[in-house]
Amino acid sequence: MRILQIDKKDWSAGLEQSRKDYTLIGPVKEGNNVSKFRELAADEEPDFSITTTTMSPKSVVFPQSEVMFTFTTDSGSPDCNIMQAPETNYSPRAVIGIRPFDALAMNIVKMNFDTPEYRDPYWCDAYEACTFVGLAVTDPESCDFSTSTGTGPFDRQGLDVLLVDSGDSFLAEVLTDKGEAWMNSAGFDREADTDAEKVITAMRADAEKKIASTVKFANIDKKETLDLYNEEYWESISFPCLNCGTCTYACPTCWCFDIQDETAHKKGRRMKNWDSCMFPNFTIHTTGHNPRDTKLMRVRQRFMHKLKYHQSKYGKGIMCVGCGRCVTSCPVNIDIREVCRQMNS
Amino acid sequence: MQTYIEKIREIAARLLKEETVEMVIGFQEGTIPMISPPMSVRTVEDVEQLTWSSHCCINLANYLTDTKGKVAVFAKGCDCRSIVNHIAEGKVQREDVVIIGVPCHGMMERHTIISLFGEEIEEVVEEDDGTVTVRGKGREEKYQRSDLMRQNCRVCVHRNPVLYDELVGDLVEVPADIRRHEEVEKIEALGTDERWEFFEDLIATCIRCYACRDSCPTCYCPTCFVDEAQPQWVGKGDEEPDVMTFHILRAFHTAGRCTDCGACVSSCPMGIDMRAFTKKLEKDCLDLWDWEAGQTADERPALETFQPSDPEDNFK
Amino acid sequence: MLTHIGIEPERLQFSWISSAESTKFIDVVTEVTEAVRKVGPNTKLVKNMVREP
Repeated sequence: MRILQIDKKDWSAGLEQSRKDYTLIGPVKEGNNVSKFRELAADEEPDFSITTTTMSPKSVVFPQSEVMFTFTTDSGSPDCNIMQAPETNYSPRAVIGIRPFDALAMNIVKMNFDTPEYRDPYWCDAYEACTFVGLAVTDPESCDFSTSTGTGPFDRQGLDVLLVDSGDSFLAEVLTDKGEAWMNSAGFDREADTDAEKVITAMRADAEKKIASTVKFANIDKKETLDLYNEEYWESISFPCLNCGTCTYACPTCWCFDIQDETAHKKGRRMKNWDSCMFPNFTIHTTGHNPRDTKLMRVRQRFMHKLKYHQSKYGKGIMCVGCGRCVTSCPVNIDIREVCRQMNS
Repeated sequence: MQTYIEKIREIAARLLKEETVEMVIGFQEGTIPMISPPMSVRTVEDVEQLTWSSHCCINLANYLTDTKGKVAVFAKGCDCRSIVNHIAEGKVQREDVVIIGVPCHGMMERHTIISLFGEEIEEVVEEDDGTVTVRGKGREEKYQRSDLMRQNCRVCVHRNPVLYDELVGDLVEVPADIRRHEEVEKIEALGTDERWEFFEDLIATCIRCYACRDSCPTCYCPTCFVDEAQPQWVGKGDEEPDVMTFHILRAFHTAGRCTDCGACVSSCPMGIDMRAFTKKLEKDCLDLWDWEAGQTADERPALETFQPSDPEDNFK
Repeated sequence: MLTHIGIEPERLQFSWISSAESTKFIDVVTEVTEAVRKVGPNTKLVKNMVREP
């Protein structure tokens, strides 16, 4: 693995240069002290002062609203009743400043959208157009428990490049061919000094030591599903829940969506929008029956999915990367770490 | 604050021991700073977890709509009016709820504190002298509590519960010089296009999570209009006409029923002050029909009835 | 609500007109139509079925 060095004074020019081959996407502040990942305007740079964005970068490959296809029901049109592919743009894009926990989350979501049986073109085409230029977390936030979830502040999974802020420069671990290509495009090609690896290792240890929050879930995997399902603590856990979509929308590993048609006279389009298992109508059937029609059932299902079912199905740990967004955003402070502790005890 | 907490625990323990109620709804300590989340208590042992703070921003009346059996609920001024509204609308029977009124000193706004401090916050301590100490990584700042108040608390004129079975403390004074609708007046001073731009900016970060709707006690429709699909009234995505329609229509549904408790703003993960929509309607109800939500369960709410003498100045 | 958020007031108008007041109906409809035409095509709260990638 090559480690390159980018002097900070050369950063902006390199970013700018890579724009000829890539659309740049990165974290930016918006509205009332919130932040998200989006396409950077011509003079915008990714804001590296934000450690955990309010909204995760999942929207880069899985936008909140997406057109699946358009159609017309006008019998006078040659395209009547024919599904038309939507306008799309999957030209190469570089996601700059994505944190390791969010990159692992991409891998987790990919397990759902890219399977031997089915490849979701919307998610996969967008994903394959991305080069993930990650930024290591040197100052973890207090709700960051990523070292418990199989990743960590300097983890490389899911990334093409890992940038480490070492003061006057970035040290860049070039992890894949895609990463190499972006670095070339930006004109970043200077090899780092021989001690770079040692520097990164030391900084990594420092960052991991700063992680103040941990979870354990091995027992959850060992326990019987029905035993967990029938526990009494679900009542007190679910009591405050508002059944809004905040946790699921903020979560980088949540992937559920809803398909709805929007029509105007004879024109129409099929939309794919984020959906949430917290919403009361998430599981409503066409018969009108709703198997999860109480708040307790929905809250229980969410945590069982994240902490139990995912472990059982894939054997790769929990469906959580420890980013802490659900904890900081939940209007009623339902804390997955606390739920995990109860389920694991 | 401490006397409130002691009284809260004493009352809750008594009500549960005497089996006056099956469940007490109150607040507990959060796992992160600046939030005191709702909790339900069914046993005397658990009463020790009940607390009170200036972060009790959620409206507990919201939890009365589905409960079975008799419950007790701790209600600040605005929450209490929401309970009265619930009684007027038949969502809860008066005899099924024991209202423990909490004369309110106002709640603090999490987003304001975060803005002012500028960095990640580890601890927020309310001192006895009206100041608040905020601690972050290796840094500490002191603020005046009054500077950290939620906007709806700043302009609140109903700080004391209007209907209660017991109180946890003495009634609080309400300043006489409050300009209740100054925020509305500021918008009314803008021109048409300026107003549109203001509201476009306001909802620009909305993610349709519906935390505002779900934390609102007046929103209890079995199926909300935005969740209907046959027919679909409003698009369910992030496009501006849909997001705007959601907010104005939801606000309209709360007209004459909203008590400006601010739970919507406090719940919003994006810190949007959607009270810009509802506060206007509160002002209109006062101006047009001299009506305030939740003052009494004995009159029909304003938008449920009419008088032949209702103003019609805007009719041709 | 609509005027508060910045929709032009001319676009939403109210009038009591009985079915027996046909002349009033004609007058009011003409007046409102002209008023709305003067304000021009509405661009606010318009659902555009085209979405840029």
